[in-house]
Amino acid sequence: MRSSSPIALIVKYVILGIVDAVAVWAGVGLVMAANYGLLAMLAIGAGALNVLVLSKRAYPFRYLAPGLAFLFGMVVYPILYTAYVSLTNLQTGNLLSKDQVIQLFEDRYAAAPDQETFTYRAFLDDHESLVVLLIDEITDREWITSEGDPDLVVVDRSDPQFEIDEFGALVGISGLSEVTGLQRYQILSRLETLAFPYGEEYLRLSGLNAFKTFIRRYAFDWETDLLTDLTTGMVYTPIDGTFTADDGTTLEPGYQVWVGGRNFGSLLSNAAMRKDFARVFVWTIVWSLMSVLLSFSVGLGLALLLNDRKLRLRVIYRTLLIVPYVMPVFISALVWRGMFNAQFGIVNRIFQSLFGTTFRWLDDPMLARGVLIFINVWLSFPYMMLISLGALQSIPDQLYEAARVDGAGMFRRFWRVTLPLLMISLAPLLIGSFAFAFNNFTLIYLVTAGRPAVLGAATPAGATDILISWTYRIAFQGGSGNQLGLASAVSILIFAIIATISAIGFRLTKRLEEVYK
Amino acid sequence: MKKLLALLVLVSLVGVVAVAQATLTIYADDTRTPLLRTIGEQFTAATGVAVDVVEFPWNDLRTNFITATQAGEGPDIVIGAHDWLGELVSNGLLEPMDLAGRLSEFDEAARSAFTTGNVLYGMPYGTENLTLIYNKEVVPTAPETWDDVLEIMRAQYDPDLPMYGLAFQNTAGNFYQFFPMLSAAGGYIFGFDENGVYDPCDIGVANAGAVWGAKLYQDMLNEGILPASVDWDTLNALVAGKNVAMVITGPWLLNAIKEAGWDYGICKIPPILGIDGEYHQPKVFTGVQAFMVSSFSENKTLAFDFLLNYIATEEVMAEIAVSGSRIPTFLPALPSTPADLAAFADQAQYGVPMPSIPAMASVWQEGGNALDLINNGTDVASALGQAYNLIRIAVGCE
Repeated sequence: MRSSSPIALIVKYVILGIVDAVAVWAGVGLVMAANYGLLAMLAIGAGALNVLVLSKRAYPFRYLAPGLAFLFGMVVYPILYTAYVSLTNLQTGNLLSKDQVIQLFEDRYAAAPDQETFTYRAFLDDHESLVVLLIDEITDREWITSEGDPDLVVVDRSDPQFEIDEFGALVGISGLSEVTGLQRYQILSRLETLAFPYGEEYLRLSGLNAFKTFIRRYAFDWETDLLTDLTTGMVYTPIDGTFTADDGTTLEPGYQVWVGGRNFGSLLSNAAMRKDFARVFVWTIVWSLMSVLLSFSVGLGLALLLNDRKLRLRVIYRTLLIVPYVMPVFISALVWRGMFNAQFGIVNRIFQSLFGTTFRWLDDPMLARGVLIFINVWLSFPYMMLISLGALQSIPDQLYEAARVDGAGMFRRFWRVTLPLLMISLAPLLIGSFAFAFNNFTLIYLVTAGRPAVLGAATPAGATDILISWTYRIAFQGGSGNQLGLASAVSILIFAIIATISAIGFRLTKRLEEVYK
Repeated sequence: MKKLLALLVLVSLVGVVAVAQATLTIYADDTRTPLLRTIGEQFTAATGVAVDVVEFPWNDLRTNFITATQAGEGPDIVIGAHDWLGELVSNGLLEPMDLAGRLSEFDEAARSAFTTGNVLYGMPYGTENLTLIYNKEVVPTAPETWDDVLEIMRAQYDPDLPMYGLAFQNTAGNFYQFFPMLSAAGGYIFGFDENGVYDPCDIGVANAGAVWGAKLYQDMLNEGILPASVDWDTLNALVAGKNVAMVITGPWLLNAIKEAGWDYGICKIPPILGIDGEYHQPKVFTGVQAFMVSSFSENKTLAFDFLLNYIATEEVMAEIAVSGSRIPTFLPALPSTPADLAAFADQAQYGVPMPSIPAMASVWQEGGNALDLINNGTDVASALGQAYNLIRIAVGCE
């Protein structure tokens, strides 16, 4: 449909103009922050948007634009970034970039032996550049220096640019305005970045009112890539993102470097980690399969019951059965955790009075897994019930009539007519549910946090940990700080596994569609 | 269209180069934010520098500080606990704290908790530690030894009410609360080397004393007199319903205890009979909290001025500590501490500052797992032994 009205045309171009302006503004900000990855994404996104709106051939695709934009920004970009991080050694101690770390080292000053103190007065010139007058109170010597030219120049009071009053006090410098009053606090952030060379030492701001002498502790040589400790003379080479001396001592912090496939290698080569990975992987598959199959069975069973027009009060049943689905998972998961508490939970109270025994629900590995599957089924069956109810409506009654005429019993009708036709529409949803359960971090974390612990585990992998919660524990609860590079590698593996399973699943459902044909 | 675009671009570029007023940014949690905002207003009135206090839940403070600082958007000042020190310093995120000759005004143990590599990184304001809080309606006098405690537990135990003599958080992951049991007979986390510095390869979580203490704990569980699966919510519920006579907890539970109407008394954890037949005082972890300055801050001078001249005063330090139920570490503020908080100091004398070296993360992880296994009935020596081995691997010893 062509927008022929002139007002519509103007509105379209104005909105495009505003979006382009915002994109350029954001782009400038990204260039200043040197974030080129996001800049590339932004350029592609804005460019694509312009093509969509302005090109006649691409115009019909405009309804896809928001969805594609979000897909790109919130799915594709994080995946690419995670893949990038998995090839680096990002972890506690190697969090910053090389430039940031070198800057940190070069900004480390130690108080000079026999530290001298100078008071100061600050002035601003017409270009808002700082000029500092340094006064040695003991000897009354004065120097003048500036932000642009840090060399100290001795003040010659007879020079006409210095305005001296009748008491001999220096009241001003011509062409410069003194920084006084509250404005002094505003320039502190600029003053503290200055370091004026003073012989072998440096003069730096120390406190609100003084400059003191400091010595620089480190010097970095960009050509040889070596960091030298000026006080001890030790030379450090960057190895794997950490500055290491010949005798093995290291400096912290380190920085993030490219390590290639090392994270993946350690995942697959470390025997104990492989064992943990295998156990967690098997449990994740079992967990997802059981959750989907059981909740689907329960949901479908209830849907078949509710589909019977002869049942009364159907609406009330349906409303009550939806409740687990609409309650926020955070609340219901925590309530279930309290109910299954071995000592004080209500489930054990009931068991005690009915059967005389209690079970350590969340403390025994097998029981904990069973409880988790039970809770997930409780949370998911309303969804399965709803989609089954919907899909059941799409099966024409004539097929049932024909089957009944042919002498098929209830079970036969279900197995041969209902289920295959349901699968056509529901199979993609079931695969989606499987993928959701595969990555259902929330439920595992809230109810058991991956515990109970397993004797003999090399990484933080408990009995109920699924791949994603295991990744989280490696990343943030690992033994030697946050190992984000390793966790990213595990995330990429999980992504590969789920992508493969989903691809296979979709292939299989395509074959199911042959039933109709 | 082109002209419109050009105009919009020009307008936006001007905005980008706008002059910024100096602002001091502070990350704090909900307990301390109101007080810091008030003092921030005083600071702004005196210096013309705006103070922006950003509030986070305590558990999110550390990760938010790290992420924001790494991205260049971090605060100038942050509040934190001393066990964060290892991670923050190894990432180069903290500026050494210059207390400008006022070192003696701060408690020495608190200062050393925030010192690593001989450099002080924080201005401490409060300490906390576990101790025994008892309900005088049920337990009229403070128990003298652990045998008295066991007697009270057996006398009070009634699973139907329910009523317990003693409770403390003992779900998996509560190694912090489990430590007093291990430490009484000689367990420790990291030993010290000749220089008095923590030696992360000298690990004492599985030595004879630790196994003894853990066995005692497991026996109490098996006898049923000590409730199992007590997490934070359960402990609060027990306290609120007066279903427990004594709790081993920190000052953070005091509000709940007062609200429940306990006539409470505070004493140190009674000594436990050790392997050698002697009674030993259980040791607890002490936690210290402080103000820290970010090394990426562009207003370091202002930050230090704010901390030293506006925060480090008697009234402010006393209020910051007491409002969070901590004992002040600013010595001039100590005399004004309320009596019940001061009672925590009895146990604090037997306190061990939580080591803040990065290896500590593995201790919490593996220690928590060991507690989990012990709760499930695993043999104490193997559970603690596994923790010992895994901590050694995580620390990287031989």
